[in-house]
Amino acid sequence: MAGLGYLIRRLATGIPLILGVTFISFLLMVYFGPDLSFELVGKNPTAEQIAAARAQLGYDQPFWVRYAAYLHEMVTFDFGRSVSTGQPVRGLLADAVPVSLALTLPGFVLGNLLGIALALLAAWHRGRWLDRSIMAFSVIGMSISFLIIIIVFQLLFSSRYGLNFFPVRGWDMSSPGAYLYYVTVPTLAIVFVSLGYNTRFYRAVFVEEVGRDHVRTARAFGAGAGIILWKYVLKNSLIPIITRVMFSIPSIVIAGSLLIESYFGIPGAGKLTFDAVTTGDQPVLKAVVSLTALMFVVVLIINDLLYRAVDPRVALT
Amino acid sequence: MSADRPHSLWSRAAQRFVRDRAGMVSAVVVLGYFLVALTVWLGLGGQDWGVLGSDSFAPVSAEHWFGTTRNGQDIFARTVYSTRTAFEIGLVVAVSSVVLGAVFGALSGFFAGSWLDEGILWLKGVLDAIPFFLFVVAVAYSLQGHPLAMHVAMIATFWTTTGRYVRGEVIKLKSMEFVEAARAVGVPQGAIIFRHILPNTSHILLVQGTLVFVTAIKAEVILSFLGLGVQDGVSWGLMISQSTNEVTAGFFNNFIAASLAMFVLVMAFNFFSDALQDALDPRKVSA
Repeated sequence: MAGLGYLIRRLATGIPLILGVTFISFLLMVYFGPDLSFELVGKNPTAEQIAAARAQLGYDQPFWVRYAAYLHEMVTFDFGRSVSTGQPVRGLLADAVPVSLALTLPGFVLGNLLGIALALLAAWHRGRWLDRSIMAFSVIGMSISFLIIIIVFQLLFSSRYGLNFFPVRGWDMSSPGAYLYYVTVPTLAIVFVSLGYNTRFYRAVFVEEVGRDHVRTARAFGAGAGIILWKYVLKNSLIPIITRVMFSIPSIVIAGSLLIESYFGIPGAGKLTFDAVTTGDQPVLKAVVSLTALMFVVVLIINDLLYRAVDPRVALT
Repeated sequence: MSADRPHSLWSRAAQRFVRDRAGMVSAVVVLGYFLVALTVWLGLGGQDWGVLGSDSFAPVSAEHWFGTTRNGQDIFARTVYSTRTAFEIGLVVAVSSVVLGAVFGALSGFFAGSWLDEGILWLKGVLDAIPFFLFVVAVAYSLQGHPLAMHVAMIATFWTTTGRYVRGEVIKLKSMEFVEAARAVGVPQGAIIFRHILPNTSHILLVQGTLVFVTAIKAEVILSFLGLGVQDGVSWGLMISQSTNEVTAGFFNNFIAASLAMFVLVMAFNFFSDALQDALDPRKVSA
């Protein structure tokens, strides 16, 4: 099985990456993160109490022992309990990750689809006023800060100064109606902030494809715009599209929605991570970092497999 | 007449740039902002940004051009002073990360395939694999209290793109004849890399610098909102995060002033950067 051998080789090359990510993150956590030992002890603690607290948190072990313990936790994916809430880390993540996914996925999908559509339009009319205006609007969109977009959209859709249709804070996924009620404004904000970047990126890809000889030949033979864009431009641009989409996945699941989650008070993975950083909740941080690194390696592999699927000339080596 | 027409990359690029109307307008706007920042540096404007006034939410008037905040601070002075903050962050982060990217990229490209290249590529991969905000939050938090924590975090992550471009370009350049010639006459390796090859990537460095500048200014806003950004002084990010409490009460002056000032600068810089790319690399596919 060449495929299986490839998969194993590929996983093995991912190991230095995982080690690097976890090591740098761990270094930051251990040497610069807040010291929690005084939160566990009462007032006027004795030296023994402090030592006991430090032992409980693992602070008394040498750095390498603690790093090795971390790696062991990662292999078993058992990070114990959160220091600040006492809940199992796995449960916290299992609650938070789906929320983040449900929050960011609609905006991500719509933002990419709209970006591709606009980019096709611009590339087809390259150099003409339609192309120029789409590109100018992309740059304008890219120039507005995400924070400003969120504030303005809240004002427009969720306050008495605007439509006042949607909630300002909170999250509820218990029914499709409730989900739609809470997800609409964040989705609009995500689409708006990503549209400029997506359109510009995809247009650059499509313009290159539109300029190729076989497209010109197809045009000369009278093939319609729809056929050309779908069959020759879009399909041949799949590799850069796949790359862009795949490499966005880790940040969508883990950290992409941090700003939205903290502004709308949504209990997702971004908020969980941010709180863990600021409170020094090492078990949660370790889990998030491991998950991210693992996901990155998996994304790299799936990316290669997809290349192979869309372009048979690509060999898996 | 054609004999004295300049032929270098830079003079041709300058000619193309001057013909680019959007590029010229945006360059003038950026220059205008820079002059505002300069007046603050020289102590000629925006110095009263911290003075607390008695009337909160004063409307626009001759005394307070943009009105006042909840604390009675003059919004115009704060907006002007924030221009300096933005340029400080943008310049420090852009210059440092471009220098870092140039050095690492050049070493990586020149010694492509060696352990040094492998090591630098690994570092780049690792830094790219940590989600940006997670890393910035972690570094900013670990150096908390330090006024440059945010800068360090941004520099540490933003150099990788420059590094990747420079590496590719250096790999292309190092097999060219002028490098062979330099080697043949015995120029030491360090001098070949940094005096002969690296200057030939300066068009990449310039464009990357403008892109990083914009990214840094935008990241500052979000980090300041999260409480990890500017520690002392005032910035557009701090103004916007302060204004989130004011807009719900119906006072928009602070929000509009900071947002608009930032939006115009970032947009001008984006158009400027585009024009620069077009002027420096006419083969590049763009409008």
